[in-house]
Amino acid sequence: MPSTLHEFSQTVHRLRDNLIALEQKTKQLDLPGLSGREWFDILQRKLIPQLSDNVYLVVAVVGGTNIGKSVIFNHLVHQQTSAISPLASQTRHPVCLVPQDFEQNHDLEKIFQGFQLIPWASAEDPLKQDEQHLLFWKTSENLASNLLVLDTPDIDSDAEVNWERAERIRQCSDVLVTVLTQQKYNDAAVKQFFREAAREDKVIITIFNQCELPDDEAYWPLWLNTFCHETGVRPEFVFIAPNNRQAATSLQLPFYRRTFEPTLSENTPALNSEAPAEDTPVNLMQVLSQMHFGEIKVQTLKGALHYLVEQNTGVPAYLREIKIRSNEFRSASELLSEQELAEIENWPLVPNSVIVDAVRKWWQSQREGWTAQVHGFYNTIGKGVLWPLRYVHSLATEEKRPPMEIYREQEWSVVLQTVEGIYDRLTLVSELGNELLTNRLKTLLNGTSREHLLKILHEEHAAFDFTAQLEELIKTEMTFFKKESPQYYTFLKQLDRIAAVARPALSVGLFFVGFGAVGHAGSQLVTDTMIQSVVNVAGDVAGGAATTTVGETAVSSTASTGIGYLEAKFRRFHAVFAQKRSEWLATAVRTHLLKTLPEELKSAVDLPNSEFYQVVQNSVSELETQLNQLRISI
Amino acid sequence: MPTSELAQIEMLASVDNLIHQLKLWSEQKTDWKPAQQCQAVIHQLLPRLDMLRVRLESPLVIATFGGTGTGKSSLVNALIGSYCTTSGRQRPTTTEPVLIAHPDTDLDRLGLDLSQFQIEQKKLDQLRNIILIDCPDPDTSEVMDEAGNLTRLQQIIPLCDILLYTSTQQKYRSARVSEELKEAAVGRRLIFVQTHAGLDEDIREDWRQQLSRQFDVPEIYLVDSVRALEDQLADRPLENEFASLQNVLSTQLGKSERLQVRRANLLELIQNAIDHCTHKISVALPAIRELEAFLKEQQVSLTSQMSQELRKELLISRNLWERRLLSCVSDSWGFSPFSTMLRVYNGLGNFIASASLFRARNSAQVALIGALQGARWIGNRHKEQAAEDRLNRIGSFGLDDNRLRESQLLIDGYAQAAGLATHQDHLAGSLEKLQTEAAYVEEQFLSDAGTRVDGIITKLAHKNSGWFTRIWYETLFLSLIVYALVRIGKNFFYDSFLDERNILAIDFYVTAGVIFLIWSGLLVMLFTRKLKRGLEDEINQLSDELAKAKLAHGLFPHLEQACQQAHSLQHSLERMGGETRQLRNEIASSRILGAWKVTEPTMNVGSIPPHLTSQ
Repeated sequence: MPSTLHEFSQTVHRLRDNLIALEQKTKQLDLPGLSGREWFDILQRKLIPQLSDNVYLVVAVVGGTNIGKSVIFNHLVHQQTSAISPLASQTRHPVCLVPQDFEQNHDLEKIFQGFQLIPWASAEDPLKQDEQHLLFWKTSENLASNLLVLDTPDIDSDAEVNWERAERIRQCSDVLVTVLTQQKYNDAAVKQFFREAAREDKVIITIFNQCELPDDEAYWPLWLNTFCHETGVRPEFVFIAPNNRQAATSLQLPFYRRTFEPTLSENTPALNSEAPAEDTPVNLMQVLSQMHFGEIKVQTLKGALHYLVEQNTGVPAYLREIKIRSNEFRSASELLSEQELAEIENWPLVPNSVIVDAVRKWWQSQREGWTAQVHGFYNTIGKGVLWPLRYVHSLATEEKRPPMEIYREQEWSVVLQTVEGIYDRLTLVSELGNELLTNRLKTLLNGTSREHLLKILHEEHAAFDFTAQLEELIKTEMTFFKKESPQYYTFLKQLDRIAAVARPALSVGLFFVGFGAVGHAGSQLVTDTMIQSVVNVAGDVAGGAATTTVGETAVSSTASTGIGYLEAKFRRFHAVFAQKRSEWLATAVRTHLLKTLPEELKSAVDLPNSEFYQVVQNSVSELETQLNQLRISI
Repeated sequence: MPTSELAQIEMLASVDNLIHQLKLWSEQKTDWKPAQQCQAVIHQLLPRLDMLRVRLESPLVIATFGGTGTGKSSLVNALIGSYCTTSGRQRPTTTEPVLIAHPDTDLDRLGLDLSQFQIEQKKLDQLRNIILIDCPDPDTSEVMDEAGNLTRLQQIIPLCDILLYTSTQQKYRSARVSEELKEAAVGRRLIFVQTHAGLDEDIREDWRQQLSRQFDVPEIYLVDSVRALEDQLADRPLENEFASLQNVLSTQLGKSERLQVRRANLLELIQNAIDHCTHKISVALPAIRELEAFLKEQQVSLTSQMSQELRKELLISRNLWERRLLSCVSDSWGFSPFSTMLRVYNGLGNFIASASLFRARNSAQVALIGALQGARWIGNRHKEQAAEDRLNRIGSFGLDDNRLRESQLLIDGYAQAAGLATHQDHLAGSLEKLQTEAAYVEEQFLSDAGTRVDGIITKLAHKNSGWFTRIWYETLFLSLIVYALVRIGKNFFYDSFLDERNILAIDFYVTAGVIFLIWSGLLVMLFTRKLKRGLEDEINQLSDELAKAKLAHGLFPHLEQACQQAHSLQHSLERMGGETRQLRNEIASSRILGAWKVTEPTMNVGSIPPHLTSQ
């Protein structure tokens, strides 16, 4: 019979594996995990074990606390299998009656996933206090083969672990023997439980227990009608049982069969409010045994499959949830990249004298042969002769720090200002109410992480060899210049004159290269760093490089000549050096201030386009088509 | 006046006092967010307390509470002995609450919104002292909505004094009802009733066990409301349990118990709010402590840096030391040849240095010039210029902009994490503010240092210029003068007159003058050197002492204040909590009325319990 459904087994397995892979990937989204989601539990507990197995029916007695579930279970199986107590919430673990030889053909562990299976020893077993989810099982000769009957804990008491156990049983069951009473049929907890059952297309058998007969004969249809309307349940069979404690304890309780059709509206009373003329108690077990197992199995499995692919309850809802959350991340990163993180108007300039020295040094290294030696000789002589003069001069003037040290200090001040600006900006962003960012930024913004950041920045900054970096830069720039332009010699000759005029004003902007307007253009340029710095040289119109001077071609492509060109060339040293430094700052800010935040945001944004997401989506739609084909073929 | 009445009045006074304290507490201005939130809670609570105090004397409001189908309406009907509120078998039966009162009871004074009730007035003796409300159930609504029974119930609960909590064998462990009871019980007395006695078994022992985790459970009544009503209608004698329940409600909750109940409710409300706030504040306090620790650390490093710097500068300002020491000695010696000499040298030095002396170039020089002179110096200048100078100076003292910016950055982070609102003044370009603050800190530090330097000078001057030294130097100094004078005198009076030798030529005086200059200069130099003996040790000691000394406040005085205030707010809250607990203990626990247990705080972190907001 369910051979038609066997083909689903593979798809379902695949879906489960893909889902678990996707869950791994979605960790940073802070979404609740898969287990605990109704559809996933159904997938795990019902579809995977039952789709591939032979037909058997799981029947569970469920309902609120202290309304006689265990009594009805005992009646069902004709023996005191589950202890009964006048006190509420006593059945703490499910009990299962299993037909003979069943466990030899089936793996009970697989059927009741999430329970520790223990052979039944006494009726008191289910009353045990145990944090583990236990399930006591016992074989019974009276049972039709392929019929499993369970008693379950309650669904509404203050012992919430009981609800969990009852829900697990509901998920894997096919038939729910629903016990209702006058006091509880409209309780919120009860209604919630059965609404889920109705959605999963379980077969429902309703027993109205503890009825005051014959008075309640007129009322139960009203109650049941309300219950059905509130939950969407359509019971297959309805029984009523009188309020008779003595009969209940001695397994003598009669169950009367009633017919019931829910009315269209909740308030219209149901029709048959009188007991039928011929009213003999029925044997519940007989009713169960006569059911069409195969059809029921197909119905509940299909119900579970529908639930799984259903837009509002199943996997699509989960996928949507991921997408929505991912969009939240997108808007969070857009919020970050909307404006520049910081703008530094007055980026310090390396003293021109230092640059001039560096250029001279480079030039000396360029000389070859005897000229180099001659120059070297004169230099040494010059140094030797001039040394006393210099010494006297240095004594007369106050001790002067090396210009690069002053630059270092100035740069540190700018770094501090920048970090301050970024913190201010992040504080503002964190107050905008994007919960994702607020939570993540909170730790980044607190005192300890600031202290940490400053320490690292300070160390890195203090350890940095500015002179070496400058010399390196001058070397590449000048080599390039020499190759490209014949003017370089003029440049060298007029170095001091040029240096005197060329003092550009630099401003640096730091951007978060996320996904906003600024971001997309930038992210292609700089793929590995998500914070980008842009150096702006103000007023460099003469050189033709008025805007940014990043990139090799900025100067060399301009065809202008003359002193303006040379000045621009000199300014370029400043700009490129500033660019290098601000890149350092950008990287430092990213790695030490924002830490993993940018990556987290990025991978979260990209998730709905990822392979894992697509695979799950595909297998769901595959499942859906399969289900639709099945419907047509039937 | 009888003592019991006095005790009563005393009790009332202390409750009033407590409420007054709460009011004051909630009105304190603070920048600390958790405290602000707590103050908002207290603000919400105060009008409720006022209402309770006003109503102290009016009849008690008793409301039924329990799951659907537990027989709330049946119980009410049975209590008043007639069909008054619809009881039925369909769930939920009661959606509109029913208020039953004696016609003589002035309902308007209760502060209830009467439009939401169906009002029944019955001329019954048992209604003289109480008002009964039959409430809707808390357990049929699945979600909170405007029209749901739960919402309706939560609007009524805050106005009740006593809850008549009904349950049955089926419902006594229902999770939803228990949850709601937890919220509803605070600020109310409880009476527990197991209904459906005719049908169900007695589960009161198990129920009591469940309840006593959170409630004081004095007595649980087991009643059969349907039968009790029939008995009354048929004039049959009532069952014991029901009769005693009826008796409790109609007679025992009379005037004497009324005050007791209301006061207990009042105190319970206060305590719940205080517990809630205490918890909230204690959760937020570690961040404040962290901030404090950091502020302290900053202060320590600030003082040690300043004292190091001061030490360095004091050690190199040799000239200033000498001048100050000399003037100190010459002041104390009064008039004598050598001290006159010292004064002349000192004056000369001062004259030469006058161009630069009083323009203290660095901070140490200010300290060295002395507190008195320093103050005069500051007073003599325009304030603006002084401020400017000060700003220039702090740079040399290790308090440069970078350093200030760093500490500001860090402090910002700590303050934000602690929930202190700082950023608004931060955004308003507070680096300048911080600089001024730093200048004041430094000034305070320097004036302290100046006083100590004065002490050192006096000490050194006295130590190194005792009588012996003085006589020795005076003698040495005078010996040259005396020798010269003797020679001149001898030449003038004797040699030139009797021996007819030539009077001493001008050459002699020139030579004598030169020798005098050299001699006196030598003496002054030796003396100064002697004075300076031990100076270095003193300076080192001074800087150590200063490093240990505590500044009156650091760079962030308003944050320091805010931290102190946070602590004081927490202390006063704890004190009030203690007082409330004590007052609650003074009210003897009732034999008939149950209540929420004091020892177990039920509130959940971060959210205001609904009974505080549901008004």
